[in-house]
Amino acid sequence: MAACLTREGAFGNPGSLSHDYGDAAHAAVEAARAQVAAAVGALPEDVVWTSGATEANNLALFGIAHYYRSLGRHIVTLRTEHKAVLDPCRELERRGWRVTYLDPGRTGVLNPTQLGEALQADSVLVSVMHVNNEIGVVQDLAAIAAVCAAHGRVRLHVDGAQSIGKAALDFTSLGIDLLSLSAHKAYGPKGVGALLVSRRRGVQLTALQFGGGQERSLRSGTVPTHQVVGMGAALALAAAEWPAEVPHIARLRDRLWEGLTALGGVLRNGDPAHSVAHLLNVSFADVEGESLLAAVRPFIAVSTGSACASAVQEPSYVLRALGRDERLAESSLRFSLGRFSTAADVDAALLAVERALKRLRRIGGAR
Amino acid sequence: MTYNELTRRHFETAAHAGTLTGPGVRRGVAGSRAMGTWVQFDVRWRSGATPLTLDAVRFLAFGCPHVIAVADWIAEHAVAAVLPGRTGLPASLPELKERFAVPTEKVGRLLIIEDAWIAAISPPSPGETNGNA
Repeated sequence: MAACLTREGAFGNPGSLSHDYGDAAHAAVEAARAQVAAAVGALPEDVVWTSGATEANNLALFGIAHYYRSLGRHIVTLRTEHKAVLDPCRELERRGWRVTYLDPGRTGVLNPTQLGEALQADSVLVSVMHVNNEIGVVQDLAAIAAVCAAHGRVRLHVDGAQSIGKAALDFTSLGIDLLSLSAHKAYGPKGVGALLVSRRRGVQLTALQFGGGQERSLRSGTVPTHQVVGMGAALALAAAEWPAEVPHIARLRDRLWEGLTALGGVLRNGDPAHSVAHLLNVSFADVEGESLLAAVRPFIAVSTGSACASAVQEPSYVLRALGRDERLAESSLRFSLGRFSTAADVDAALLAVERALKRLRRIGGAR
Repeated sequence: MTYNELTRRHFETAAHAGTLTGPGVRRGVAGSRAMGTWVQFDVRWRSGATPLTLDAVRFLAFGCPHVIAVADWIAEHAVAAVLPGRTGLPASLPELKERFAVPTEKVGRLLIIEDAWIAAISPPSPGETNGNA
């Protein structure tokens, strides 16, 4: 990746094929494209480079909605999707499309029957996140794809930003039309991702940006060679190593959960039977969320169940959709485990949470 | 969310968290846990002191770090002080907001602290001799 930034490396413009420098960069980009495709069972020509999963989601949603608008203006998604899907859906609603937001209930797992009932004659797109970024729940893509296939003409977009290195995902065999990917969720560089657009399934999109016609004219602009090379390497590594990593990470997750349950007043969010090993989302009773995060922050890096876009935190809409009340949604922590996590890390996290909980519950007069 | 040094110190130590019991202890409570902020002050007046001063103050708080820090600071600074003003707080709400860099969106939480404090230091009702704690 770094070599692409030096004169001795593939520093040329991968779109300039009239000289050797461009050829070298082009070869590096195509090698990365093949790596990304192989990681998810796709064809290299399915891959459209983007700046990340957010742009990929936007391209998928707006691109499908506009291209197929003569067939219908109805979209189905979940209330627990990432904002990178929900916000484009809100914008499409403002522009005249109808969006159905399905409620997956307490488990966070979508019932395919529910999806079938929501589809209408003019539905053109279903957008589902494979692995939920907050609770780690894995959706049954095979069942969802089957419902879409039965409908006949609705396209299936999957936000797979959290999938690589965490859960099995085969783009072609599952019958997915569009798949959003991000590099940095798989230890790759930030600022690069891809939208996979199935050629075999004949998916068509309206482009969102113009000027140069790169990426099958779906995403004009010079491809950042170093970024996509980094993404290719990261996804190749993740695809090769994740089966061996998961048992180790699952053991750490179980160790963490067992330690947390011993503290009392803890509730696990999402269905453990349908979750990745890498993520544990827990709500803590009798403690205020912002104080809990502030108390553990000097010792561990965790995310809260709150969005703190303003000074006053808002409870997670994902946890609220699962039925958690406002206080429990706020007082949740998201523990992420990964390739480099150790048992010592887990024990340090447990100690930090235990101390914080005991102190804050005492200060709060919890009985 | 970031907190200033004073907020961090009082949030992390909360040295005056707790309760008081016994004769002469009064308790004031405001807010609710369900709404996200709940504060309780226990105060004990110094017997026979003129002007009236407090002998001990303890607090309990369910709330954000600003709430815990401000409640702890009040509990520390109200002891032995001549409590000024209408509310009897050792500092006004605007002063507390500035000292602790409390965001404007959280001013309502300072009002809950003030309500709990006023309830704690309000005079006993007729016939009440041993406090309300």
